[in-house]
Amino acid sequence: MSLLLRGIVLLVALVTFTSAEHTSNWAVLVSTSRFWFNYRHLANVLSLYRTVKRLGIPDSQIILMLPDDMACNPRNAFPGTVYNNADRALDLYGDNIEVDYRGYEVTVENFIRLLTDRVGEDMPRSKRLLTDDRSNILVYMTGHGGNEFLKFQDAEEISAFDLADAFEQMWEKKRYHEMLFMIDTCQANTMYSKFYSPNILATGSSEMDQSSYSHHADNDVGVAVIDRYTYYNLDFLETQVREPSSKLTMGDLFDSYDEEKIHSHPGVRYDLFNGGESAARSRLVMDFFGNVQNVEVEGGVGNETAWQEELQAIERMINDVRRHNESLAALPEAEPAPAAKAARPSLNREGAARVNADGGWSKQLAGAAALLGCVGVWAAGSWLESSK
Amino acid sequence: MLSSLLAVSLCLLTSFVRAGSDYHERLLLRPLPQNALLASFNFRSNESSSSFERQNFRYFPRSLGQILQHANTKELHLRFSLGRWDAESWGARPWDGAREGGTGVELWAWVDAESEANAFARWLTLTNALSGLFCASLNFIDSTKTIRPVMTFKPEGNHPNMSSPNLHLLHGTLPHEVVCTENLTPFLKLLPCKGKAGISSLLDGHKLFDASWQTMSIDVRPVCNNDGSDCVIEMEQTVDMVLDLDRSKRPRDNPIPRPLPIEDIECDTSKSYNSQDSCFPLVKTSEPSWSLSEIFGRPIKGACPITGEEGENAETVCLNVPAERNVDIKTNGGYTEVPRGEGLLRCYKLPSRDDFDISLPEQTLPTPLLLPQPPLTAARSINGHGQERGSVQAVITNPSDYPVSLIYLESLPWFMKPYLHTLRASIPGAPASTNPIKETYYRPAVDRHRGTHLELLLEIPAHSSLILTYDFEKAILRYTEYPPDANRGFDVAPAVIRLLPSDGNPNAPPVFLRTTSLLLPLPTPDFSMPYNVIILTSTVMALGFGNIFNLLVRRFVAVDEIEGWQPGGLTGALRTRLDKLKARWFGKGEKDE
Repeated sequence: MSLLLRGIVLLVALVTFTSAEHTSNWAVLVSTSRFWFNYRHLANVLSLYRTVKRLGIPDSQIILMLPDDMACNPRNAFPGTVYNNADRALDLYGDNIEVDYRGYEVTVENFIRLLTDRVGEDMPRSKRLLTDDRSNILVYMTGHGGNEFLKFQDAEEISAFDLADAFEQMWEKKRYHEMLFMIDTCQANTMYSKFYSPNILATGSSEMDQSSYSHHADNDVGVAVIDRYTYYNLDFLETQVREPSSKLTMGDLFDSYDEEKIHSHPGVRYDLFNGGESAARSRLVMDFFGNVQNVEVEGGVGNETAWQEELQAIERMINDVRRHNESLAALPEAEPAPAAKAARPSLNREGAARVNADGGWSKQLAGAAALLGCVGVWAAGSWLESSK
Repeated sequence: MLSSLLAVSLCLLTSFVRAGSDYHERLLLRPLPQNALLASFNFRSNESSSSFERQNFRYFPRSLGQILQHANTKELHLRFSLGRWDAESWGARPWDGAREGGTGVELWAWVDAESEANAFARWLTLTNALSGLFCASLNFIDSTKTIRPVMTFKPEGNHPNMSSPNLHLLHGTLPHEVVCTENLTPFLKLLPCKGKAGISSLLDGHKLFDASWQTMSIDVRPVCNNDGSDCVIEMEQTVDMVLDLDRSKRPRDNPIPRPLPIEDIECDTSKSYNSQDSCFPLVKTSEPSWSLSEIFGRPIKGACPITGEEGENAETVCLNVPAERNVDIKTNGGYTEVPRGEGLLRCYKLPSRDDFDISLPEQTLPTPLLLPQPPLTAARSINGHGQERGSVQAVITNPSDYPVSLIYLESLPWFMKPYLHTLRASIPGAPASTNPIKETYYRPAVDRHRGTHLELLLEIPAHSSLILTYDFEKAILRYTEYPPDANRGFDVAPAVIRLLPSDGNPNAPPVFLRTTSLLLPLPTPDFSMPYNVIILTSTVMALGFGNIFNLLVRRFVAVDEIEGWQPGGLTGALRTRLDKLKARWFGKGEKDE
């Protein structure tokens, strides 16, 4: 009896454990600064892009937003490359990069539409965040910001309230399982202070009234190439998290932050996370930065018949489609229908109209005739009046 | 004589590329003056239209095929371009300009739809889908950037229902769009060998986007037999680039040019100041040395296995150099060299697995390189000053011995409003009565909804230039319509010029030419202005409101009108008592005196 009970408890524990897992990983990497002197912000984002790609998140699950073109910028002495270190050991742009939103497309509106998936019907899949309630999302943002706001392209701002509401909408729409929000900007910690949705682990580079500083500059590139907070995050990710089987936890990452080196006080917000600080710190780094493909079989082994029925239904569907295709192939004479459709002329054809700029005599004669007619009418009127 | 031979060889090249099999690729290398090298890549894959309809894709990329089917697109032309073709020193354009686009991104397509509105909706679907596929902001091609050209573009494919009104041509340009590695990545993924083997293994973003001029194009068209049967969907991808040899040979980790030590420079000793430490470098007359691995950073990684085994289709690399030029081939595998085009063209069949490298030593040639001359040159600029109006001037020169007809197409943004009545075309030296404008198609702009479309049929006599001018007005944008970098100016798409065949043959290959794009400065506000206005308005409001509020709710009275008013509270009251006492005592004392 007690054995059975223990077995049930174990089973329940197992079920809760598996249900707490995620089945896909997504990354939203956003730089919000335009112009060449903000090279480091694009380098920050591209460094993260390289890292999450290295740890297994495919390009189709990474949304990369780059507001300016640094690699092919005429000011770049190294065409087609972006470096995040003066030693120039790693070309971040590489040969295989897919930028989803670029240039003027990086706006607050597009970013919030991306998060909440309120997009037009023509939006291609590569520009959408197709997550579900089993997706872990890494949201990384960098740019210039201030107390509770982050500037986009020096033209508009997103506020901490907008971001908190967008995340709440994501939670209500079951668009994430757990989220890691990471931000590197001045006064970054104020950006996550307004969040109120569950299961968000947030970290930022600097406290209120603190700036976030760049790490170093490359004299040949001519500008600073990376920010301090991102540099030391990458330092941990690149030197400690060597392979996807790494068991390092988020706690290890947060403990690696050294305020002496970062020159600001990085913050972490645990209170929204389910299970609080201990649960959040025990999450693996790979839960957010890597791709884990856990397969979950719904319903267990109990419902075999329903599963068989579904298989049969799919088979029937395939057969129907095949029969339909064969019938189409057997009837090549079924063409007249579109031809009849084609015969119908499309009305009000839009487009440029032909302009006849003939300044010839005919027009001038017509004008003169019209003028003469007017004069005649006036003369006749005055003559009739005088003859009364 | 030599130049005509060269031209023949190029026609030959294009013609034998057209022969049928399912996949071809060809690289043409041609040294140009001033240490430049033209590298022209061409990839072509065919899919029979029946298997295309059934989504049975072999060489045609599925990702693009499904987009075309979804958007009912029958023919597609997409261009990504960067830089300017220097016709004065490089001669005629590759492919007669038919495989290049204006600076930025250019797209035109024939869409099958029953109505104009439907066609436009499908066009938007197409641009959005392509923007996802090619990582470019093609979704910015909206109604303001779309035109429907009348004469300029003719379908390249054979459309069975060409005469039906259901085939709509739409054209859009993005002159501001940057072209970079993220556009090349999907381009290479469309190729069957994905840049891993064959000539596409040379394509590297670091070199391509360092070129003096480069253009990438994708063309999809149906090709049928003369009787309209046996149709195939043909996809052609080309990459043309002009590399600066000195620039390309610099190592990638040290691309910044640094001065050579003076011992390595050949000096002009005839200069009076020539000495140990001053030097006027001589211009080298010899042909520079180069090799594929030097300028592309790597050799060709063997043949793409699905190219033909035999005949001209297997010869995938062609070198267009004079017969006297020495060429070394470095490979461990077996290759074949075939001379073509009367010795001006050497074509190579690549080894199947081993690396293949072409190396040319430095050499002085007896006859200089002769290039075919461009049939037409064009330059366009914005004139005028001030923030309100300006004018555009285009100079089109016909250097040939016979008169030419051409079509000139302008697609202007809505905020640049031309005055059609100021349109003038003049030919200096020609009698004043001749009007070179034969036909005009025009569609005026509507603010924020569509741009101006101007299409002209022009005629230029032999050895003369045509000057086309028109005035325009600059619109004032709304505050939110400015891009983040508004002070840079707004790009105006290049004009497209199509040269009509002199003999009127409709099947002649098209000859295109594009001007450079223009930068239009618009009046830009100081973007801190709204904040100034808000702050000032708030101040004025506060002052005005405060005063009115005070007037309404308070009553103003004099101090002595208040009964029992004591200024200053307790101390004040004490002080008044004290004053009264003082007045009594001292007042009495004064009286005593």
